[in-house]
Amino acid sequence: MTLIDYLSAALLIAGAFFFLAGTVGLLRFPDVYTRLHALTKADNVGLGLMVMGLAVQAKSWSAVGKLVLIWILVLLAGASIAHLVSRGALQRGIDLWRR
Amino acid sequence: MISVKGKNNWPLIISRGGLFFVLWWILTDGVASSWWIGGPAILLAVATSTILLPPGSFVWYEFLKFVPFFLLRSLLGGIDVAWRVFHPAMPMSPVLIEYTHRLPTGMPQVFMANSISLLPGTLSTELDQDVLKIHVLDSQGNFLAELEEVEQRVARMFDASLKVSEGGR
Repeated sequence: MTLIDYLSAALLIAGAFFFLAGTVGLLRFPDVYTRLHALTKADNVGLGLMVMGLAVQAKSWSAVGKLVLIWILVLLAGASIAHLVSRGALQRGIDLWRR
Repeated sequence: MISVKGKNNWPLIISRGGLFFVLWWILTDGVASSWWIGGPAILLAVATSTILLPPGSFVWYEFLKFVPFFLLRSLLGGIDVAWRVFHPAMPMSPVLIEYTHRLPTGMPQVFMANSISLLPGTLSTELDQDVLKIHVLDSQGNFLAELEEVEQRVARMFDASLKVSEGGR
């Protein structure tokens, strides 16, 4: 394995860790709003790290561009959908969990 | 086709044309024959973007300054939420706050709402007539300073001045 492979592996594993955190948060957190926090933020970082891990191995600059483009689109979609789901929950009168 | 009276549109056409050129190149790997479709598509995209986002309302330099800020803060947002997820006691004290926008209606407000959902501890929940409802994961944190910083950066990006707020935030 070359240095690039180690760097790539480290970034991919770190990305997987954040995806795991997002999913555990979805299961553990108490209400829809807090679950959205876990999903949007952790998955955004997880995907960002995975994109970086794959980008360092990419064969061409346009492949890097495609990966970054995917990340930007998922980021936009994730933030917008989190907003829509939480707005829907609020309009249905779902109260937020309090300590 | 693309003209606004009394303004020089060339910087706009060149910068947006360049952006769409790069996008097309990324999607097609720069295959020579694809430019027969790509050329007209880029021109149409520039024309459409001029209607959707009129010239003069977006400062690229400020956007480039926003990118590293956003990347760092969203990384911290992920770490923050991962820490709460794996902590046995799940430390958090959620609260719903109302933030009165001082940004102009439209793109700047939406941009800010989407940004803060990815920053540490804040989730935009409802945007209604200048009032942004935000779900805050930890009411003990200094989320207000963070929101104000994002607001100021977005204002500079859209070349807008912040409205004087009438209290009530």
